Amino acid sequence: MLSQIIVNGLLAGLVYTIMALGFTLVFGIMRVVNFAHGEFYMAGAMAVLLFYGHLGWPFFAAVAAGGVVSALIGLVVERALLRPLLKEEMPGMIMTLAVAITMQSAALLIVGPSEQGIPRPFGGTWMLLDARVPWDRTVVALCALVIITAFYGFLKFTPVGLAMQAVAQDRETASLMGIESKRIYVVAFGLSCLLAGLAGALMAPIYPIGPYMGEIVIIKAFVIVILGGLGSVPGAMLGGLLIGLCESAVATMFNPTAALIASFGIVLGIIIFRPTGLMGRAVR
Amino acid sequence: MKTRYVVAAVALLAVVPWILDNRYFFHIATMATIMIPMATSMNLMLKIGQLPLSHGAFMGLGSYGAALLTMRLGVPPVLSLLAGGLIAAAIAGMFGPIFLRIKGTYFVLLTFAFGEIVNLIMQDWISLTGGNSGLYGIPKFAILGFRLTAIRDYYAMGLVFTALSFGLLWAIERSDIGAIFQSINENEMVTRSLGGNAMAWRVAAFVLSSFIAGIAGGVYAFYIGLLTPDAFGMRTIVDLIVMNTIGGPASIVGPMLGAILIVPLPELLREARQYQLLIYGISLGVFLIFFRQGLVGLLRLDKPGDKT
Amino acid sequence: MKAILSVNGLAKRFGGLRAVSDVSFEMQEGEIFGVIGPNGAGKTTLFNVIAGYYRPTAGKVAFQGRDITGLSSDEIARLGIARTFQAVYNYSQHTVAENLRRSEVIARRHGPVAYFKNRNLAAVADSQQVANFVGLSSMMGNTAGSLAYGQQKVLGIGMAMMVSPKLMLMDEPAAGLNSSEKKVIGQLIRRLQDERGIGILIVEHDMPLVMGLCDRILVINQGTPIALGTPAEIKADARVIDAYLGEDYEFA
Repeated sequence: MLSQIIVNGLLAGLVYTIMALGFTLVFGIMRVVNFAHGEFYMAGAMAVLLFYGHLGWPFFAAVAAGGVVSALIGLVVERALLRPLLKEEMPGMIMTLAVAITMQSAALLIVGPSEQGIPRPFGGTWMLLDARVPWDRTVVALCALVIITAFYGFLKFTPVGLAMQAVAQDRETASLMGIESKRIYVVAFGLSCLLAGLAGALMAPIYPIGPYMGEIVIIKAFVIVILGGLGSVPGAMLGGLLIGLCESAVATMFNPTAALIASFGIVLGIIIFRPTGLMGRAVR
Repeated sequence: MKTRYVVAAVALLAVVPWILDNRYFFHIATMATIMIPMATSMNLMLKIGQLPLSHGAFMGLGSYGAALLTMRLGVPPVLSLLAGGLIAAAIAGMFGPIFLRIKGTYFVLLTFAFGEIVNLIMQDWISLTGGNSGLYGIPKFAILGFRLTAIRDYYAMGLVFTALSFGLLWAIERSDIGAIFQSINENEMVTRSLGGNAMAWRVAAFVLSSFIAGIAGGVYAFYIGLLTPDAFGMRTIVDLIVMNTIGGPASIVGPMLGAILIVPLPELLREARQYQLLIYGISLGVFLIFFRQGLVGLLRLDKPGDKT
Repeated sequence: MKAILSVNGLAKRFGGLRAVSDVSFEMQEGEIFGVIGPNGAGKTTLFNVIAGYYRPTAGKVAFQGRDITGLSSDEIARLGIARTFQAVYNYSQHTVAENLRRSEVIARRHGPVAYFKNRNLAAVADSQQVANFVGLSSMMGNTAGSLAYGQQKVLGIGMAMMVSPKLMLMDEPAAGLNSSEKKVIGQLIRRLQDERGIGILIVEHDMPLVMGLCDRILVINQGTPIALGTPAEIKADARVIDAYLGEDYEFA
């Protein structure tokens, strides 16, 4: 029983981490809460529904397409809708809310309100100690690890990634060093949507796909980002895994709603006692 | 255009339902008297640069609070209406200092999470709230022995509530409290360096706006007679944000106009209900980019703070 | 004469960086007290700790004998300590008169409770009087943001005066000013001392201004104090001259 809880928790935690990574990217760099984050997740899942479910593409190709579709929508949104509003926080946030409801209603009109499923690309389970581990979730977890590692490498070892960290820490100093915030925002937002899209695409065979599937994503992402610390990739990973484990335990022992309340309680506790999160830097 | 004229025009508009004596109009008008206080009280928070996504949840707390107190404990409706508002205010007072502790964006997310969780509790605690099937059989409102049965009675009740809350918020907006809020929003560092207790003002605004939302919830409960959790979720919040954005956030006249515009919309768009959200999303975007000051700006109404 | 501000063993660390350590001094009532030091010496950090923006890692600050260590910036302001900013900070969309009026209202009716409790109290300062004092009476109707840089800094001092402080903390009041504007500020600060008896703590880079204005000066280098005395003593102090070697400063 215990090992099942742990395995479930870790598997879920890895997916949560990818959800949170994109969110913390935009939050940390642009100081904007992207309310449409869940909808970009949904867009990735919808792409898999189309390409893999209806058009018969290979699964991983559909997943990649999901990421790309989300990223493209994200780039358009950033250029046309967010950039004019970036100077103030609130209008930017409300705009992402506008994007969220527009995307949600567009999905509603195109796909209809009911949830759909797609055939599972990987069936069967394997045993780890006395826990039953489904293969499809294992694949998701492995892909998540690849994505997280690639992302971390990008941040630490490429010029763009380092520039992004600089802008996240101190916008003014970064611009003095010749880093143009605007360009960084485009990359940050596009990358965030890419990650969200990939997460949604990977999860498409596991959870039902519908226009409202993105609603819960922001809450999870927010909890993880607060727990792990704003702007910290290791923090997002640690937070994702911890939340995954905690939810798995509480959900198994009580019910999923209690798990969510427990997460919220953790967030409140962190804000009261350690606002920078487990691994974050102090926010100015 | 003088704001006074607009307010007077709205006051005149308020008489229309009685003239037309049409049940349909009375319903829309009564819903407006519930949503105007909701939108204007949210505006109070917007004035200090905070976006309270918990506003729907506080309306719900007031709603279920008032309904349950009357139904389960036999509390007279007038007292439970008040109690509903006080419950909302107390919870806001409890969580406010924590939510408002860090920068504005955290507040948005915390209130968002809070709202979602309250909603989930409303759905899951079936023995208390009836869950998604609804809480039925809320008794009619009664005051001083007089039971409100006809829809026009509830419209009158709503009008009184709207007038009182609008009057209060209007007075606040035009007073030095409004000036202090503006100062906090425009430059918090300076305001604090002068001794302004920005945190205390924020919590006070949060408590007051949540109180009004709680009372609105109570009025809603007695009027509709049945409660379901989805009345207090993100749909309502989106409506309120649209009202404030299209109406114009600088003054409470904006959300009042926005509410008058938005409340009838679902009825008018009855055939094309699915398009409603799409229209909201697009309008929101358009107004944010092109008409930031909303209707208030388009009509060139004089705003508070245009003193000297 | 009672010390209006006493700082004892004050230290501030940011992670591994010791920005300020072991600072102690006493400032007398009605004194103009300067804090100087080479770039990066920790003056601004010290200032911000005293003003309540940072919590010190060690040490204590006391105002008129009362411990104010760790109080927030608005709590400190309510005790009678006002501050001005290095950059220009005001309600730029509103008039000079409104800026001054608001400053007094914010100071007196500082919180929801105080708002009602203090509503009938006499104003703690008069806008017109303060405007006359700082020399902005002809600009009362102008928008704050439209004023010249130097005038906006003067407005900043005026706003700080509206809280009727006993102590003023000034963060580089001469920053960004040309020589005639500096003269104006210098005279204003002198008059604050002479005519209003307000104690003033100045963190500054401008040597002539500091030397001409201050009664005593504290010199900080790399976070620690290296000298404390009158301008004459400081000018002659070998350690001070040593610290400034390589920097372009004229002590004259």
